[in-house]
Amino acid sequence: MSTESKSLYGILAEVKNPKKLIDIASAVERGGYRKFDTFSPFPIHGMDKAMSLKKSKLGWIVLGHGIAGLIGGFSMIYFMSVADYPLNISGKPFMNIPAWVPILFELTVLLSAFGAVFGMFFLNGLPRLNHPLFNSENFKKATDNGFFICIESEDPKFDRTEVQKLLEDHGAENIEEIYPD
Amino acid sequence: MDSHSPKLTDSVSLPEHLDATKTFIGIGVVGLIASFVGFFLDSKQFFFSYLTSFTFFSSIALASLVLLMIHHVTKSSWGTVIRRIPEAFVSKLWVWALFFLPVIFGITSLYKWTNEAYVANDPILLGKQAYLNDIFFIVRQVLYFSIWGYFGYRLHKVSVEMDRTNDWGLTILLRKISAPGIPIFALTVAFASFDWLMSLDAHWFSTMFGVYFFAMSFQAIFPVLILFTFWFHSKGLLKNTIRQSHIYDMGAWFFGFTVFYAYIAFSQFLLIYYANIPEETLWFYHRMEGSWSFITYLLLAGRFALPFVIFLNRDRKHSRTLLGIVSVLILALHFVELHWIVMPTLHHHGMSLSWLDITTFFGLGGVFMGLFFMMLKKNNLVPVHDPGLKPSLAKEYHQ
Repeated sequence: MSTESKSLYGILAEVKNPKKLIDIASAVERGGYRKFDTFSPFPIHGMDKAMSLKKSKLGWIVLGHGIAGLIGGFSMIYFMSVADYPLNISGKPFMNIPAWVPILFELTVLLSAFGAVFGMFFLNGLPRLNHPLFNSENFKKATDNGFFICIESEDPKFDRTEVQKLLEDHGAENIEEIYPD
Repeated sequence: MDSHSPKLTDSVSLPEHLDATKTFIGIGVVGLIASFVGFFLDSKQFFFSYLTSFTFFSSIALASLVLLMIHHVTKSSWGTVIRRIPEAFVSKLWVWALFFLPVIFGITSLYKWTNEAYVANDPILLGKQAYLNDIFFIVRQVLYFSIWGYFGYRLHKVSVEMDRTNDWGLTILLRKISAPGIPIFALTVAFASFDWLMSLDAHWFSTMFGVYFFAMSFQAIFPVLILFTFWFHSKGLLKNTIRQSHIYDMGAWFFGFTVFYAYIAFSQFLLIYYANIPEETLWFYHRMEGSWSFITYLLLAGRFALPFVIFLNRDRKHSRTLLGIVSVLILALHFVELHWIVMPTLHHHGMSLSWLDITTFFGLGGVFMGLFFMMLKKNNLVPVHDPGLKPSLAKEYHQ
């Protein structure tokens, strides 16, 4: 029994419409669950609040990359045109900051963009080949007309019967247990 | 979720006691009389100060004009709740045009290319004579102000008409006025900036000066809108109409155009710096001389670096304290930058603030704000029957 509950990924339930999804999400959140997620074919305004999601950390990752690009670019040009191989270009100083600005700007933007894209991959746990939820035939509707909520078994408050009851109480349908394989 | 059927709950008329038309006109008259005294004491300084102040207030009206046009052409709804502010700025542009007359009287003091003896010995200015001559200069000014006056008057008139007639079809007319208005605006503003500011140093030229002037002005319009919003709120007006989401939008636009301004201003500098051709670099050389160089670095730090770092964070784009402080700073620096463009022609070796800068500022500012309040109190503070109002009121701020 215990081994079986360990391999359980979570409990998936379907609701009728976006309004119900927001209601059930806030009910689950109020119930003290933290490891759960909602799935819908389109973004729903107010869902972040209902799930009480924190602000994404992505901005800080981008900022870090941007600053790294700026400092890295500066060090690179400094090494090349001042320290290692200074060239006299039309009498301008070696430390020719205005002329460096386009390169510093581009490197800041480039690394920020890398930070944004790969940081987003990292925070979303991408890339991955499969996900336990794909084992549910019903879940295919999530990209079309289905609204789903899944409470994961990793949640410290997770209890199979209680979760089942909570979801049923809020009008969820097609409640099913999801296993990784 | 009742945000789908938002209602306008605030009062939309400016209370009598907040109508500052007379106060501002009074300040304007006193300021202009004081400036007129200055004209007899130091006429050259008077014309330069007058031009700086005139350009400052004109730039706010012109940026309002293009903001409205963009707003109509893109069918935006985010700014419908604040639209009456730019509309009140532009509707009397044809009256404002009269205040350009002193500049015309002063062209011989302001612009060296008007001096025929001087031009005759100067091959560069001789080559530019087809464009830079008194008659054509005046013709162009008449053209600019007729065009701006017409667009400003129409855009305000039609919008107010919609309040009265409840005919939402007028939005299409507004769009039809605005669409050709944008390219016409771009050309007239570029050439006006060449005429007013660039030809002060007629040897110098920068093909992107028009864009530079536009970028400056457009950055400065958002602080104006933000400060008026805060003023409305402090008087208990439009509190449920202009909300956090709209303030955030203005903050975001302001942030975006801060970067745009820096990009344009620096591009202009970099090309000239890099090519290093004497006739081009001289303009910057004067502005890097003596205490002018202090202003140059102040503009870099205050008009770009500081607001950029402050408003990089999303939450701060709707922080009232920060937006308020930075808005005042940007408007002050907008004036300083125009001063920095105009005055080195007169004072080569270092900055000098004349008392005439202050009197012309208050004189023209009083008139400008008086015209603004006159139009603001006459009409609703919000276009009540605009189809864009509902979506605008429904705007939510998303985390």
